[in-house]
Amino acid sequence: MVEETQVRDFGNRMNKRKSGHKKGGNKARKKQKQFPGMGERVKIDPRVKKFLRKKARDYNSDDEDTEEGLAKGVEDDNLLPEYVIAEDVGGEEAEELGNEEDSDEEGEGTLPGITKLGEGSRAFRNAFKSVIKKGASEDPLGPVLSGHKKLVAEKLAEEEVERKAKGDAKKEKKLVAEKGHVKPANFLDTHERFLISVATKGVVKLFNAVNKAQVAQKGLNPLRSKDAKVINKRKKDAFYGELRRAPSASSTVKVNTSEGDAEGGTPSWAPLRDNYMLTNPKMKDWDKKLDSGVEDDIGGMSDDSSSDED
Amino acid sequence: MARLRNKNRKVFSKPSVKKKAAPTVDHVTGDKIPKSFVFSRGKLPGSLRQLQMDLRKLMLPFTALNLKEKKRNNLRDFLNVAGPMGVTHFLMLSKTDAAPYLKVARTPQGPTVTFKINQYSLASDITQSQLRPRCPSDLYKNPPLIVLSGFGSGEQHLKLTTIMFQNMFPAIDINTVKLSSCQRIVLLNYNKDTKLIDFRHYSIRLQPVGVSRRIRKFVQNHQIPDLRSLQDVSDFITKAGYGSESEGDEEAATVTLPCDLGRVNRATSKSAVKLQEIGPRMTLQLLRVEEGLCSGTVIFSEYGTANEKKTPGKENQKNQGGEEDEDEDNDDDEDEEQEDDEEASE
Repeated sequence: MVEETQVRDFGNRMNKRKSGHKKGGNKARKKQKQFPGMGERVKIDPRVKKFLRKKARDYNSDDEDTEEGLAKGVEDDNLLPEYVIAEDVGGEEAEELGNEEDSDEEGEGTLPGITKLGEGSRAFRNAFKSVIKKGASEDPLGPVLSGHKKLVAEKLAEEEVERKAKGDAKKEKKLVAEKGHVKPANFLDTHERFLISVATKGVVKLFNAVNKAQVAQKGLNPLRSKDAKVINKRKKDAFYGELRRAPSASSTVKVNTSEGDAEGGTPSWAPLRDNYMLTNPKMKDWDKKLDSGVEDDIGGMSDDSSSDED
Repeated sequence: MARLRNKNRKVFSKPSVKKKAAPTVDHVTGDKIPKSFVFSRGKLPGSLRQLQMDLRKLMLPFTALNLKEKKRNNLRDFLNVAGPMGVTHFLMLSKTDAAPYLKVARTPQGPTVTFKINQYSLASDITQSQLRPRCPSDLYKNPPLIVLSGFGSGEQHLKLTTIMFQNMFPAIDINTVKLSSCQRIVLLNYNKDTKLIDFRHYSIRLQPVGVSRRIRKFVQNHQIPDLRSLQDVSDFITKAGYGSESEGDEEAATVTLPCDLGRVNRATSKSAVKLQEIGPRMTLQLLRVEEGLCSGTVIFSEYGTANEKKTPGKENQKNQGGEEDEDEDNDDDEDEEQEDDEEASE
């Protein structure tokens, strides 16, 4: 607990120092200079307060009613500049600047010198006001010597046009480069879901076929020649059966279905079907491959059997 | 005196570390394993380069992942390298102002199929769009399965495309394949109306079915459940959670595994197949089939060849004839899968 308070104090101290710099730095410091007897910065002598209020009233009394000026004067010192800003910008800017100017010079002179300063300040204020009013024109260049203005304006306009042209060209290039690149949506839309279902069906078919083939084969030892024959036969039948049966079963589910012949009229044994070996191009190729494969097998098997007999 | 050589002396020789040669022949089926190169012709913009990388990953493990191509390499250089390395297919990406193109070719003189890529999404886009992207570490150790659907059986160019794609990936033998090695699947779906081919790449996941969600998650993810609110452990096991929405869909997707796969999926109990998209997504349009490797006579062309364009009357006739043929053909479509078997036809 103690540590906490200590830390807090330290923090506060840091804050105080910083705020001292930023906030009322000028005023507070100047006041301290004026009244060196004062210990803390924040305390303002009531006399000074009164004086400042009077000054504010003086400034404000030119543009507004005395009532308002009085009302303003009653407010706190620190709020004065803010209140000033909240109103009309044109007039009050001058007031505020005038205030600040005043506070700066106030530190230098003594009390009697301030009244003269007030007059001078008023003159400055009027001049500044007129400048501000003129400068209200929306020239992007700002206050520039008239002769040079045109050249600068032209240059800036040129640069802008160039930048725009370059930007457009770059954008176009980017568009062409990215042509076709599409960011996918977060959700699964119907088409995607359909595709996933198609793929899933394919995988399921494959896994079922594998399952059948491998489970049926589990009991058999592939090295024994007798079993090898059985394995081969099983492989043949099971595999063809799966593939032949599959199109008739699944084509009803898919969208691009054949018109009617797959509804259940096709016999399940492959060679009985009309389109046996004709439709699936992969199958066709397979025949050629399989012939060579089978020959090898048969050769191998006969060798085995002969060696066994021996 | 001559030193007698002890013939039985065993000479100590360092066991030579032979670099394991990449298998050129599949030890199961005896076929040559197809290998591929994925490269670009011409300079590609950034996202297409990423697409090229995604395609390379897709073709793993039988492709060159870090293939370095220089500007001055032309097709001949690739051909020269392909021969000794046993590379059978080239996938070439290119880009014009109109669209990016993908050419699939069979080396050394095989046909070339040209696709126009209407739309594509990168693998990184897809994983960003997903809530729970997954990429297990051994996903790319095995080649993917391929599923072709919607191609029908009639038209020549479609047949050629299917054969080309089927031959690009090594065949699997259902009797010896391990289901744990089938982890990816490439889907090519042809839409007859729009003549567009959807290309998708999914990862396969098996989840036990019939197990309540909490128990499944507990076993799969090793997440220790929160038992604060329960009186007894039996509450945890028997509490009926709300069923997931996709329970119905899963019925069609259940398989019975021949063996145990991982900790969760046991043999003889049902498991559901769940696919999650990884990898690039493309919409392709078949443009041209050429006889040679990016050269040769044009067997099929979407827009008609230059010769035909000269006589628009003739071209119309030809097109009409073609359309009639297509209508007559059976709209038979099957899921053709990459499978091989060692049997004779009956």
